[in-house]
Formats: sequence, C-alpha cells, structure tokens
Amino acid sequence: MSGIVNVRDLKVGTRVMLGSGAEVEIVSNPGDGVWIFVRYLAADAEAGEDEMIFAQDVVEVRS
Amino acid sequence: MNATKGYHSGLLDLSKGLISREIFVNEEIYAQEQERVFARSWLFVGHESQIPNPGDFFTSRMGEESVILCRDRAGTVRVFLNSCRHRGMKVCRYDDGNTTVFTCPYHGWSYGTDGRLAGVPFFREAYHSELDRTKLGLVEVAQLCCYKGTVWANWDAAAPPFLEHLGEFSRFLDLILDGWDGREGQAELLGGVQKWIIPCNWKWPAENFSGDTYHNISHRSVDLVGAGPSGRSRRDYSELNVARKLHVTIPDRGHQTITYVLPKDHEPQAAYQNSPEVAEYFRHCEEERRKRPGANSRLMGAPGEIFPNVALLPRQPRTLAVWHPVNAHQTEVWRFFFVDRDAPRAVKNFLRDYYIRYSGPAGMTEQDDMENWNYAHSASRGVIARRYPYTYEMGMGHAVENYEFEGLRMPGRVVDLTKAQASEEPMRNLYRRWAQFMEAGSWDDLMTWRRDGERREAAE
Repeated sequence: MSGIVNVRDLKVGTRVMLGSGAEVEIVSNPGDGVWIFVRYLAADAEAGEDEMIFAQDVVEVRS
Repeated sequence: MNATKGYHSGLLDLSKGLISREIFVNEEIYAQEQERVFARSWLFVGHESQIPNPGDFFTSRMGEESVILCRDRAGTVRVFLNSCRHRGMKVCRYDDGNTTVFTCPYHGWSYGTDGRLAGVPFFREAYHSELDRTKLGLVEVAQLCCYKGTVWANWDAAAPPFLEHLGEFSRFLDLILDGWDGREGQAELLGGVQKWIIPCNWKWPAENFSGDTYHNISHRSVDLVGAGPSGRSRRDYSELNVARKLHVTIPDRGHQTITYVLPKDHEPQAAYQNSPEVAEYFRHCEEERRKRPGANSRLMGAPGEIFPNVALLPRQPRTLAVWHPVNAHQTEVWRFFFVDRDAPRAVKNFLRDYYIRYSGPAGMTEQDDMENWNYAHSASRGVIARRYPYTYEMGMGHAVENYEFEGLRMPGRVVDLTKAQASEEPMRNLYRRWAQFMEAGSWDDLMTWRRDGERREAAE
C-alpha cells in the first residue's frame, strides 16, 4: 500500500488527521476523490467549523 | 437590403432567391457564425424533467461549447460553461447525475452547484489567501428562461427575453410542450437524449426542418413500408385531407414551420389502430383538446425551426432536435423525445418504439435525411461546385400576411401549400435572419420589431 489516503470512499462520520495536525470529522463527501467536507473537533482552534479539505491535506484515517 | 458587409446581396441575394454554397462550406464563415449567431442567440439547453432534484445536472451544449445544466442546492435552475476558471479543464465529464460539487480533475479547483468557487487547493499556502475567489466562479449564462419545462439560455445580456424572441411562434412550440389534451406544459422527456454526428454543416438540417416539404420523395421507401402508428405511411395523418397545409414564417425572428389548420368543427379521426389502448388514449385527448378554448385545438403541428438551431416536430414523433455545430463540415445532433407525463405506460411504450423506428440515427426517416445532407454537403465543397449558388426561388412573391381560415388567423407571412405542395419561403426566412445576425453589430440592430413599434407610436 502507498500509505496515501483515498478520500473517495470515506464515509460520513469518519475521523481523519490533517497535515496541520488537526483532527476532523467528515460531514459530507462528494465522492470526487479530491475534496471532503469536514468539521473540526473540540480540541482544535477551529472547533465546530465546517470546511472543505483537499485530499492531499489528509494524512491519516483515525476511525 | 443591407449590402455593406457582404452577406445580403453578396453571398445571399434573396431578391433573386440565390444563396452561395460558401455559407455552408467556408470555414471562415463558420468561425464568424460562432461569435455572431451562437454567442448571442437563445439556445435550447435541456428540460427540467432531466434535473428534478437539487444537485441534479445534465451536461449540454451551446454551439461548440460544453455547458452544465443543473439545479443548485436551493432548487434554482442554472447553466454554466463547463470549463474551469484556472486552466479551462472540463469540471464535469459525465452526461448527467447528482452532485454537491463540480471538481476539476486537473488541479482540483471545486465549484458549488451554484457556480461559486468553493475549493482552491493550497489557498492559504500557495495563494497566501490572496486569490479573490468571488470573481472566479463558473461562467454563467447571461440569461436563462424556463418555458413549460424547457430550458433556454443566452450568453448575450443585450438579447431580448426568450418569449419576446419567440414572438407569435410560441403557439407552435406549445404543440409539443402542452399535453395532447391541451393542458399546459404536460410534456416530459421519454428516455435519454439520442446523440450522433453527421458529416454536414449545421444549416442543412436547420433548413430541412424549416419546412422542406419538397423532399418528401426521398422518404418514399418509408411511406411504402408503413412505419406509422396505424401501419400506414409514416404518420397517422388522415386529417390532411380536410386541413389547410401552410408554411408560416415569422420574418423578424427567423422562425418558421409547416402547420395544418383544421376546419372549425372537425371531428377527431381514427388513429393508432394497431393498439386499441393507445387509440383510445388519443381519441380521448383529441376530444378534450377540442373542448379547451384557444387556437391550438385546430392546429396540427409539423416540422419547424426556431432560429437558429432547434427543430420542432410536434406531431408524432414528438421531438425537439438541436443541430450543434462541431465545425463547418460536421454537426452533432441531439434529439429529445417527448410524451405526456401522465400517459399510461402502454402508451409511452408504444410511442417509444414508434419514435425509435422513425427518428434518430437508426430511425428510417432520419437516415434518408442524413444521406441527403451528407452528400449534398460533400458535393458542394469543391472549387468548381462553389461557383454555382443554390436556388431558393420556389414560391417567391406568394406569401401573404393576415392569413385566416374559418376565423383562425395565422401570424407572420403564410404560403398556402394545400394546392402548391411546397415553397421555399421558410428557407428564405431562415437565411434572411441568419444574414441579419452575421451583419448586425449588436442586438440593437436585430430587434427590428421594437423599432417598428416605436415608429408606430410616434406616428400616432
């Protein structure tokens, strides 16, 4: 395996780690393999905010 | 006629009924058409029944350009150029579907269904948050009109509203879009859109569907086979024996059609006799249609053309066709088939089979037409052939205004074909408008009816 995260098939509710170190939860996935919509979790400065995340920013699937 | 720029009295001399072959085969003229005709005309994009839900999209065309017809998350119908603002890649490469975003596969720019630029990779890091994303949404058409389910769009903000452009021709389009029983806007698409490429200039089919009744001989074999709903001829048209057959042209708009006007108290004729259920459905619809007020209860539709590149065929097969220009020598045809949305399943199935048998790339009648356009085009490309203009003299001077039959007035200029059988008035009307578009600097020069109205008001 390449170790690269394929965001295309990640389900809503999945938690992923970003390159910035922030942990986010997927709230919507258009399935284009390029973008996911996420919500920042409580421990981060942006907690509660929704944002589009580029696939290359996703470094790890947490759950 | 205005002869200053060479289309009128140059390539076209409609006072003599002569049109140069150059307008069909010359690649420079074709390139000018893209700017002067297609970039400022109202063009058919699709039907709302193709995008019933938020996020639904259908990838369509306007002239040579790929466009996205979609219903955004708020339910608004929109049409966008299918081209990323960063490097132009198509942001949608599917025929249709449902999505939350249109993402460019090249560098990953992503757009909402409202066209807003939503995602730019490395916006903070590479662009230092300095890119003004609000100015880089998908390019949206300047004007859009949803008319009885059909969606029309225009790149030119100066063009008149769609219904003004359609003018009095709307009653002929209504013959497709209203229910067979006369209720408004009851049509829906039947099946998918048939798409294929034919080797001829787009004006060949546009001219043919403007009302070329003269070429019926080329469909003789289909007539003999009996492809019609009752197993006779091509269509069930027994009403023809009592109707007035007309060419109707709208001179200042460039629209034209064949139409049949029935006598005042004409009773429905038996049709669809190969299927009792279908026959009963249409008998009922015809009776209902006659009970509704309005002129259309006495009109029987036939092939026509909405300027520049949309053909209507209101009688069965009930279709709209779009002649998309590909280059001077190729046209991509898209044919949309319609049916009453609340017709019984058996009726829809029957009509689907008939439509396929008649129209489309495998349809018997369409094959005849394509062969004519294909070889007429290729035989007109040579340097010798180009020296000899086509003749469009048939029926010159025989069109009348204020035509009326048993109390039903027809708009525009009319040629009665009941005895004459054919005229080339519709083709002259099409190319007159085409030349106006090719010469006009802006829509101010093209909206002649507004100037005429102002003159009338001033005179009064």
